[in-house]
Amino acid sequence: MLLAVHDLRHTYGDEVALAGVDLSVDAGEFVALLGPNGAGKTTLVRSVIGLIQPTSGSVRVAGGSPARAEVRRRLGVVQQDVGFPSTLTVREIVEGAAARAGAGKDRAKAAMTEMGLADLARRRASNLSGGQQQRLQLAMGLVADPALLVLDEPTVGLDAASRKAFWATLEERRNRGTGILLTTHIVEEAAALADRIVVLHKGRVVAEGTPSELQRTLPGRRVTARTSVPAEVLRAVDGVVSVTASDGEVDIAATIAEPVVRTMLELDPTTSDLVVATAPLDDVLIALTNETKEMVA
Amino acid sequence: MRAMWLEIRDELVGILREPTALFFSVLMPVGFFTFFVAMFGEAWENAGTAMIVPFGTFGVLAVVLMNPGIGMADAHQRGWLRVKRVSGIPLWMTIAAKVIASIPYAVAVLAAITASAVFVGDMRFDAGEVAVVFAVLVLGVLPFAFFSVAIGSRVGANAAAAILNAILMPSAIVSGLWFPYEMLPEAIARIGSVLPTYHLARLAMAPVDGGAWLGHLLVLAATAAVGAMVATMAYRSARL
Ligand SMILES: Nc1ncnc2c1ncn2[C@@H]1O[C@H](COP(=O)(O)OP(=O)(O)OP(=O)(O)O)[C@@H](O)[C@H]1O
Ligand SMILES: [Mg+2]
Repeated sequence: MLLAVHDLRHTYGDEVALAGVDLSVDAGEFVALLGPNGAGKTTLVRSVIGLIQPTSGSVRVAGGSPARAEVRRRLGVVQQDVGFPSTLTVREIVEGAAARAGAGKDRAKAAMTEMGLADLARRRASNLSGGQQQRLQLAMGLVADPALLVLDEPTVGLDAASRKAFWATLEERRNRGTGILLTTHIVEEAAALADRIVVLHKGRVVAEGTPSELQRTLPGRRVTARTSVPAEVLRAVDGVVSVTASDGEVDIAATIAEPVVRTMLELDPTTSDLVVATAPLDDVLIALTNETKEMVA
Repeated sequence: MRAMWLEIRDELVGILREPTALFFSVLMPVGFFTFFVAMFGEAWENAGTAMIVPFGTFGVLAVVLMNPGIGMADAHQRGWLRVKRVSGIPLWMTIAAKVIASIPYAVAVLAAITASAVFVGDMRFDAGEVAVVFAVLVLGVLPFAFFSVAIGSRVGANAAAAILNAILMPSAIVSGLWFPYEMLPEAIARIGSVLPTYHLARLAMAPVDGGAWLGHLLVLAATAAVGAMVATMAYRSARL
């Protein structure tokens, strides 16, 4: 196993960021880490790349601790909120990263081209735009041909073309056996790319599986209807996660549809325009990480 | 070895491309020295190397205390230090590169001070003696770079500059680098004699006045050991 995280806990002061997380990534496996703001994704990433010493639990990268520099050298990393020195050019930074990994200038050039930085090679790195700096981080991460890529929201700030190119690169690396751990807020991105999705909420893994497994085992339903039954009544029904009502139309998110449909028809036999649909995965995940009601027992 | 060279090269390139910091830490000691030479040069005419030692000490200290720390703080603030740490560059290498890269800087300050003494003060030196003093100062000042790095890894660039200045100026005065002890109250001399900066100046003076050197050397060695430890601890526990 390339990455093995076991019972990882981390607290900042008395803020619990990770409350016991288990996670693994195999060679050639693409794992997407999803979760709302503050879920603990970055804290998990920082533990994996050896930037913080977790309060307890263990992290193993290719069998070694990321606290050791030679273990970290096997990682390709994109972090949130990094900056580059104003004194070095794009080329110097990428070539430096290549040289440190024992690779030549040709590899540095290839990585720059791959990330669309060839025309920016002579620019000072700190003068790049946000998306360009993000691509520079990616080029640095890819140039060493790492065993494991750890990417914290790598597509934030990328334009559509760059994002597509980046996805293609990831896919190609994965097929060549690179393990990938990527955090994102974009559910479609995770669903389209990942072999496995791990959903983090309040420092815990609340759901895990392939995109289709999640879709199946997290029975998200969306029920819409025209009814006189008040929203407060519907909210109390078994399986209901949220209700929005206006002008007699209700829009209900629920784990299962039958109880709420039955209630509506019993209390208001004139209920009409009844539609039951499978909720898209992102609605399911929003419901899953919703503060008001727990969906998973 | 190659990785170490890359680190040092990046540091040197950084210094050359952003010379404003260099400018001030070189200009100030050299400016002061030139001023003193122009004012009191006549009285010192026969002092030779002895007179460049205190100012030379101040010059190398200014460079080596200010620069690595400010560079570190800047990299820290930008988030570049996190990139470095994660890319598997060992801790000691990051610190050592900053320390080593300040050597050419220190040499430049000494050269400028000597040139000022020769051209403004019209003074004569024994070249061999000057070379020995240079070597002692450049190597002897390196332990102070560790403290600079330690402070730089904990605070922002502006704060680092302020804190390091607040350390540099009083220690220079108390160590007798600006005014000789004969001109200062005895209490100051007593405080000064426990500061490592004072021992650096004495060690650099030894080849000139034939004074004792071993004690001063030991103090600097201890300073280096403590400094390396403090720098390592500060960097390791810094919130990157
Ligand atoms: N340095 C810190 N000091 C104190 N608390 C912190 C620190 N970093 C993170 N936290 C807290 O830990 C929790 C998890 O934060 P983390 O950055 O891991 O979340 P995240 O899932 O990456 O969020 P986002 O999607 O916004 O990037 C949050 O409640 C956050 O406020
Ligand atoms: Mg984050």
